[in-house]
Amino acid sequence: MTSEVELIRQILEGDIESFSLLVERYQKPVVRMIKNMTDTRKSCEDIAQDVFFTAYKKLASFDPARSSFSTWLFTIARNKSLNALKKKRTLAMRELPEKTDPSNPSDDLARKEFFIELDRRLQALPFKQKTAFVLAEFEKLPYEQIAQIEGVRIGTIKSRISRAKKKLRSALKNLEGDIL
Amino acid sequence: MKSEEVYDTWKEEKSQIDIRQDFADEVMNQVYQYAQKKTKRLLDVQWLIELISAHPLAKAGLIAAGAVAGFIRVAFVVCMFLSS
Repeated sequence: MTSEVELIRQILEGDIESFSLLVERYQKPVVRMIKNMTDTRKSCEDIAQDVFFTAYKKLASFDPARSSFSTWLFTIARNKSLNALKKKRTLAMRELPEKTDPSNPSDDLARKEFFIELDRRLQALPFKQKTAFVLAEFEKLPYEQIAQIEGVRIGTIKSRISRAKKKLRSALKNLEGDIL
Repeated sequence: MKSEEVYDTWKEEKSQIDIRQDFADEVMNQVYQYAQKKTKRLLDVQWLIELISAHPLAKAGLIAAGAVAGFIRVAFVVCMFLSS
């Protein structure tokens, strides 16, 4: 497998086709990150396309000595997600789910309600906490890489993730009493 | 189902993603169009002038190059005059 630095060198020398290898390598993580950050199923792929297009346009400014390509790409994705969220800020949050029948705790519906509530709480997290949580829990990025993307220290990332988890778990605990 | 289980299943579900088949193709189409436009534009003098006037560094570079060329020309004329 060609190294990313080598691929990027080839692209900058005019081998545009090589860029498709980078797109194929990172399309799923980028789309997933944006989907989890913005909760916009329809447009997350459009935002992701914009991320890759921007990455191509700015590829000459990528410095492998400063960060890995994935860190650089996720930073672009993070910024695009933030812009998308600013645009849809006016949209109302989803209503709290209606309570389901407590007599059937294994009910799929009850589980769905939990998921909806967790989604809602995830979207309600402050942007910085949400970014750290999504990158750590869904993208499985190491804390060091997340710290680089966010431009903060590892300790700060740990604390953001811990606060995000606490909020999500407390939401579950609250619902547990009601639904299960 | 316990809340911990629900939480883990939720995380599992959020980690799954399906994207449309032609996603990479669409990105590459955009990239090709952009690259084509860029090559075409480099041959367009009007566009080059606009590009230079839009970037202060490019403008400064052009002015500096002009000043250096002017200085060399004057020095050349002076040398020619003195030698004759």
